[in-house]
Amino acid sequence: MTSYVDRQEKLKTGLDRDAALRLKNNRLGMTIFQASWIMVFFAIIVVNWQLRFSYAQWPPVGVAPFDPLLPSIATLALLLSAALVRQGWGGLRGGKLGEFLVSWRLAMALGIGFMTIIVYEFMTVSEAALATQYGITLRLMTGFHFVHALAILAVMLHVYRGACAGAYSGGEREAWAVEGAAKLWYFVAVAWMLFYVVLYWIR
Amino acid sequence: MATIAVPLGAEIESHEAEAVQRPALSEYLRWSVDHKIIGVQYGVASFLFFIIGGAMAMLIRLELWTPDLDVMVSGAAYNSLFTMHGTVMIFLFIIPMWAAFGNFVVPLQLGAKDMAFPWLNAFAFWLIPPAAIVVLLGYFVTPAEAGWTSYPPLSTLFSGDGQTLWALGAHLLGISSIMGSINFIVTIFNMRPPQMTIWRMPLLCWAVLATSIIAVMATPFLAGALTLLLLDRVAGTTFFDAAGGGDVLLWQNIFWFYSHPAVYIMVLPGMGVLSEVLSVHSRKPVFGYRMVGLSSMGIAFVGFTVWAHHMFTSLQPELRIPFMITTMIIAVPTGIKMFSWLGTIWGGKIRFTSAMLFALGFMSMFVIGGITGVMLAALPFDIHVHDTYFVVSHFHFVLFGGSVFAIYAALYHWFPKVTGRMMNERLGRIHFAFTYFGFLFTFFPMHIVGMLGMPRRVAVYDEAFANWNQLISFSAFVLGFSTFIVIYNIIRSYYRGPVAGANPWRALTLEWATTSPPPVTNFTDDPIPFEDPYGYGTEASAAYLDAVEAAFDGNENRTILD
Amino acid sequence: MEDNRSNTPSISPAAIVVAAVFIIVSAIGINWFTSFVPVVLPDQASAESKSVDELFYILVIIGGVVFFLIQGMLLISVIFFRARGDDRSDGPTYHGNPLLELIWTIIPSLVVVFLAVVSFNVWSQNSEPKAAVNMINGEEIAIKVTGARYAWTHTYETGRLDPDGDPIVINSGDALHTYIGQNVDLELRTQDVIHSYWVPAMRVKQDLLPGNPAAGGRPTEIRFTPIRVEGAQYPAEYPIVCAELCGDGHGRMRGTVVVYEDEQQFLEQFYDPAIHAILNPPADPVLRGEIVIQEYVCHSCHVLDSLGWTSRTGPSLNGIADRAGERVPGQSAEEYIVTSVWDAAAFLVPGYAEQMAQFGPDQPDTYQMDAEQLYSIVAYLCTQGEQSDCDLENSTTAIPEAIKTVFGLEVDITFGQGDGEATDAEV
Repeated sequence: MTSYVDRQEKLKTGLDRDAALRLKNNRLGMTIFQASWIMVFFAIIVVNWQLRFSYAQWPPVGVAPFDPLLPSIATLALLLSAALVRQGWGGLRGGKLGEFLVSWRLAMALGIGFMTIIVYEFMTVSEAALATQYGITLRLMTGFHFVHALAILAVMLHVYRGACAGAYSGGEREAWAVEGAAKLWYFVAVAWMLFYVVLYWIR
Repeated sequence: MATIAVPLGAEIESHEAEAVQRPALSEYLRWSVDHKIIGVQYGVASFLFFIIGGAMAMLIRLELWTPDLDVMVSGAAYNSLFTMHGTVMIFLFIIPMWAAFGNFVVPLQLGAKDMAFPWLNAFAFWLIPPAAIVVLLGYFVTPAEAGWTSYPPLSTLFSGDGQTLWALGAHLLGISSIMGSINFIVTIFNMRPPQMTIWRMPLLCWAVLATSIIAVMATPFLAGALTLLLLDRVAGTTFFDAAGGGDVLLWQNIFWFYSHPAVYIMVLPGMGVLSEVLSVHSRKPVFGYRMVGLSSMGIAFVGFTVWAHHMFTSLQPELRIPFMITTMIIAVPTGIKMFSWLGTIWGGKIRFTSAMLFALGFMSMFVIGGITGVMLAALPFDIHVHDTYFVVSHFHFVLFGGSVFAIYAALYHWFPKVTGRMMNERLGRIHFAFTYFGFLFTFFPMHIVGMLGMPRRVAVYDEAFANWNQLISFSAFVLGFSTFIVIYNIIRSYYRGPVAGANPWRALTLEWATTSPPPVTNFTDDPIPFEDPYGYGTEASAAYLDAVEAAFDGNENRTILD
Repeated sequence: MEDNRSNTPSISPAAIVVAAVFIIVSAIGINWFTSFVPVVLPDQASAESKSVDELFYILVIIGGVVFFLIQGMLLISVIFFRARGDDRSDGPTYHGNPLLELIWTIIPSLVVVFLAVVSFNVWSQNSEPKAAVNMINGEEIAIKVTGARYAWTHTYETGRLDPDGDPIVINSGDALHTYIGQNVDLELRTQDVIHSYWVPAMRVKQDLLPGNPAAGGRPTEIRFTPIRVEGAQYPAEYPIVCAELCGDGHGRMRGTVVVYEDEQQFLEQFYDPAIHAILNPPADPVLRGEIVIQEYVCHSCHVLDSLGWTSRTGPSLNGIADRAGERVPGQSAEEYIVTSVWDAAAFLVPGYAEQMAQFGPDQPDTYQMDAEQLYSIVAYLCTQGEQSDCDLENSTTAIPEAIKTVFGLEVDITFGQGDGEATDAEV
């Protein structure tokens, strides 16, 4: 009898053949999707980088550089949130639903805090900055990131509500939803780190 | 000698007894997650777009019959016509057409039951019709007229709403392409049965893998560029508006970072098809299998480093030289493929089937596109012919002489597998003759008018080129006519073609080790591939092929049920 | 797979004969093909064109070898390796030959390196900045090219001043005038979209890029040196072509390079008469308008038989004076034409989109038009028709009044004092 899945995998997960294959596919698919979609963020970093050459200096003359204090706090919140997501997922795999629910509640609250600061940053760009690409690219990058963070937060909320309703008591297949949402949230964190460095620290 | 591995055990008896049931035509119009249905859906939809894009090409050539503007009401109408022609042919014909063959053939060749994500597969396909409607709808409002490359500021400050629709549609098609490609990569990595090792994979799978890697890494750049274009058009940003601190070259950079690799997205699967067809129909292993497979990867990799050769006349002069060098380097892996194919047919027993004719036609035409590609890479010469009919000719040699010939070869090669019936070979030969000569005399003279001084994308041109253009237009009409032959052949063969049987070409790859068309689950169990996908000429392979034939085609009076 | 090498085809006498035939055929073929080169490329009218064409020769020869090699091998395969009759057997199980594969990797690599080096040499030779550019009367002057949809405008900043102290700038419209041996160095600017300045006979091309007007735009540069073409009549004319899609009239966006035999001929036939014409403008506003209107891009979109304009992007100007009075109720013919030149969007002729550029004193570069120029253009357009609606007898008062009514600007109608003779010269 041949099998799609090598036996190690079977022993490790205890899944039947089709379920194990689905999990394996989902994991690889998620990795490829992340590798692919991060390229959009790179494309936008290229935009920021190339538009700098339209100006003699960056930030352009007469524009005050952005204050990195608030975004740094937001970044810390996001990283903490990602770590909590990781912890909650680990807890769920260990069968501790309560730990998962607490961690994810906290993680989502931190995520909302992060997004609030980002919205604040988006709204309070100075007129002088908005007259140049310095302000416009900030809006592009924060706005573009915000859309992704919002969508993925919605996925997390969906998973969380499922967990509250007891969807992830045991079956590995449903647990993929938790894993997927967690990995998407890491993606949000990684993408933001790229933007954060480019926006606030590379002059 | 290796042992003979036959993919079926106890099932042989039951196969012999059954007639082969084809999916009802209505299934093709419905949502389906079967990769074979989706493959056909992709194929038929793309072919429809090929006809639409081809009709546009005929109108373009009609306009260019005379040096003056006479068929079109305005230059702008002509501009929107070739904009649509390019967009339809690239985004709605060639790219989805390869998704068609990839979908149908790759899981079968791997020995898999289906793609890794069947639902995503269907979703990726069903994004195409709405996207196509959005793009084509743009033609009826103030149409996009900035070419398929849509350079700003022409596409931002000087274009109508059709340009916005164009960008939206292209966005959707890009997302569809990314989803399809993720699916291919996961399928190729995860869905192979254990015996199908990576070095036993048929070369089409190698090519689709390389293509998909390009697509997932490059297409997001198109998404980024189109997002900026849409923001500039509807949200009042100034990314491409110099007056607001933007940069028009920004678009060119990001757009070509996708669109040059997109050329390989369009031609690499064709190269994979060629390896299959040449080997099967000349009854000889692919020469240098590993190098052919790896050269696909080489092309994919180098393809990411050449984009700025599209900007030779706009880029800062000091940045041009590095791109000239990378562009020339890409000729090397392409050359490896070319010589390997020659090595494949050299000394073989060539059967002049229609599929083989188109494969040979590909080699004969693509080499011209390759040579002119190197000529265009040579910066000083490119400066002269950049944005002229020389370039038009070059990329049609690559995308028609390459991709379309390969698509036809694939059509004749896999049609029996898809429908269970053979295509008419006589009509196929006539089709080939019309296509080959129509193509050659349409596009070869374009090199000359380009060098003489005719720019591309003009409705009005210097009278000195009138005779050349009449030759080109006449040949283009011949080429256009050839399409009717293949359409007739497809329809006729679908109903009346001789029953094909499982393996009409006696090919060794796994898609032929099942019925034609294959059952819903493709194989009754994990099939065991023959030790070498192209190991023709050995006793083992002959025995394997005989066993396959005995397993599936033992009953002489097989019928196809619709 | 080693065991399959046993049935490697060995080199047979037939193969040697075939190789010999290939070499002879490709030698003849390439020779035959290169004899077409003068037919497939335009005249070599610049120093740059010589080296570019030499590179083209090299590319064609190498390309030809590859072409005949591959097509030849294809042909041979098709003829000799076809399955005859009902031969159902397979070919030899020959999986490859590492040495051969190495050869066809290395040789193309070497060829590519060779081509890159040759191309680089040609490129650096052609793009090297030259000393003494745009020399006229022993001085370097600036020659600027402006691309606007859909016409080229060439301006010569002579460095001289007219009696009022204003610099004399020659506007030669869509024609570039140069002479054999002049190192031409043009500054290219666009006023709207990307254009590409291409002179096929010179083998040069450069895009014009929109830049930020506040930052002085984004000028690009193009350089070439005209040389003598055997058998050409001087002054010789070569087309200028726009090679980057710029919209409706892209195909018509053409111009002419006029190459004079030497600087003497250039000065006599173009430069000096042009300066003379600027210093002695005709007093008659109609004659002056005929000159001025040709300095702008009007011809790129309008039909006007008396000047030989044929473009159909915008409405026809033939007989414009006959219609001008009835277009907008309450507006006189003069007022209508005045409005239409500076503010075309105020009234759109049915069937035409709003796409004409804005002209006026505040507009940049080639769109800049002062009230005096407007006055003369309107005076000229008022004569275009059989029964002009304009008040032709009192045009010296009617048109300035119209300008004053519409735009509130005073016109100094005494600006032209010349005898008008200069209009005979090429301007």
